[in-house]
Amino acid sequence: MAVYYGCDIPEDYYFDLDRDVWVRFEGDLAVLGMTDVAQTRGGKLVNLTFKKPGKVIAQGKNVVTVESAKWVGPFPMPFSGEVVETNEAGFKRDILLLNKDPYGAGWLVKVRPTHLDAEHGHLLTGAAAVEAYKKKIDELQVKCFRCVDESGN
Amino acid sequence: MDPIRVLDIGLVSPLRSQAIYHGVAYAMKPDTPDTIILVGPTDPYVCIGYHQELEKEVDVDYCRAHGLPIFRREVGGGAVYLDKGQVFTQWIFHRPNLPASLEERFTLYIKPLVDTYQRFGVPANHRPINDIHVQGKKIGGTGAAQIGEAEVVVGSLMFDFNFDLMARVLKVSSEKMRDKIFQSLNEYMTTMTRHLGHTPDYETVKREYIRQVVETLGRPAEYADPTPEEIAVTEELEARFASDEWLYQKGGLRQTGAVKIHADVYLAEAAYKSPGGLIRATARLLEGRIDDLTLSGDFTLLPAFAVGALEQALRGVTLDAAPVRAKVIEFYRNLPVQSPGVGVEDWVNAVMAIKGQAPLQ
Repeated sequence: MAVYYGCDIPEDYYFDLDRDVWVRFEGDLAVLGMTDVAQTRGGKLVNLTFKKPGKVIAQGKNVVTVESAKWVGPFPMPFSGEVVETNEAGFKRDILLLNKDPYGAGWLVKVRPTHLDAEHGHLLTGAAAVEAYKKKIDELQVKCFRCVDESGN
Repeated sequence: MDPIRVLDIGLVSPLRSQAIYHGVAYAMKPDTPDTIILVGPTDPYVCIGYHQELEKEVDVDYCRAHGLPIFRREVGGGAVYLDKGQVFTQWIFHRPNLPASLEERFTLYIKPLVDTYQRFGVPANHRPINDIHVQGKKIGGTGAAQIGEAEVVVGSLMFDFNFDLMARVLKVSSEKMRDKIFQSLNEYMTTMTRHLGHTPDYETVKREYIRQVVETLGRPAEYADPTPEEIAVTEELEARFASDEWLYQKGGLRQTGAVKIHADVYLAEAAYKSPGGLIRATARLLEGRIDDLTLSGDFTLLPAFAVGALEQALRGVTLDAAPVRAKVIEFYRNLPVQSPGVGVEDWVNAVMAIKGQAPLQ
């Protein structure tokens, strides 16, 4: 895993750079989440509002509304798809999941892509993703940080 | 897209609750973010529309006697009694970031308000052009204006409303008429409190509204504070808004002047209800021609100078439908004006209604 200014960039994930979304393909499904950069910029979350499973959402449209105390943002679909599962229950247990583990336990939604062939051209992975993110981190002058459990877990 | 800035400034003085969005609009620079202000007044007041004539619409004596301040906004629409039962939702955006058509702009602006009401169990819907209804009852209107370089759209989250005082502050021809207005308001208006039987928590509703804005616009929103410059411009405006000169004139850019009546000159007035609002036409007629004309009312007509331009265009025209219509058509052709719910025939009807009126004494 590449790390740049404290920001993790897992090379085996796919990234929609402009929307700050990561994608992990699992068979014909895709798991989506916010990147380390996005969670850092958003800050400590206070609320998430998920679209219901079964809902088909177009590329670029909002699938989760993510809120911190001073910020409310859309989490956009990197490609069109049907919501199959959300991590709502996980966030009910711990609202800081995303701030602690954005690429793992802090995943947001699992979707079934509907037009992936036509809508995957912008996704970056591996070294190309790392290079693009490094540039973005430089431009934003962001330094990533995470929340941790007080116990240190 | 860049985040929308949210200025959630809570309760402020009645004057500030109107001046703040004008101030943020006038202070807008190319790098100012699109802004949404959430604000309410600490105390009640009366607010009149940009194109209205104060003394024709508001019982000024009653307001003075009861310590109710009156302010004129730079946005069209009607006279309204306001208090802390409403949270104003004021959008101050850059022109390219809103639809150019006013109808589409209202549709966009109203969507998060309607969605917020629905979230709290109030089955609201958009009633075009720019109203919000709940089962046939109005839960607030909206207005639009260009202020400085900014495009402004205003409306409110209607927690509660004082129907009695709303009916009381309006200028009416008789107390019987006032009773009718009160009954109509009661029958055809509603609020969250009325509909739900309780008042939802203000902070929770405001937060949901911003969520719905993010959902509708697909843009993040960031809470912030006004800049010192925006506050300074707002304070300057407050001095103007508090002046009688501003309050009593009809529309900021026009001077109607004194009207003297001679033997072959008379003054007549008529009101005409168009789908986009009431139009009052007051004309000085000289040998059958329009010598001077004033148009006022609760309609929306953008840009701000357009009403003055239309009044000017109709001067010297014979008071007959065909020449009046020709001038109005020319006005719409020559200027990029928008007047939702008010078309050429509405202006013609409003002006021609003068013909049937007896001269004013």
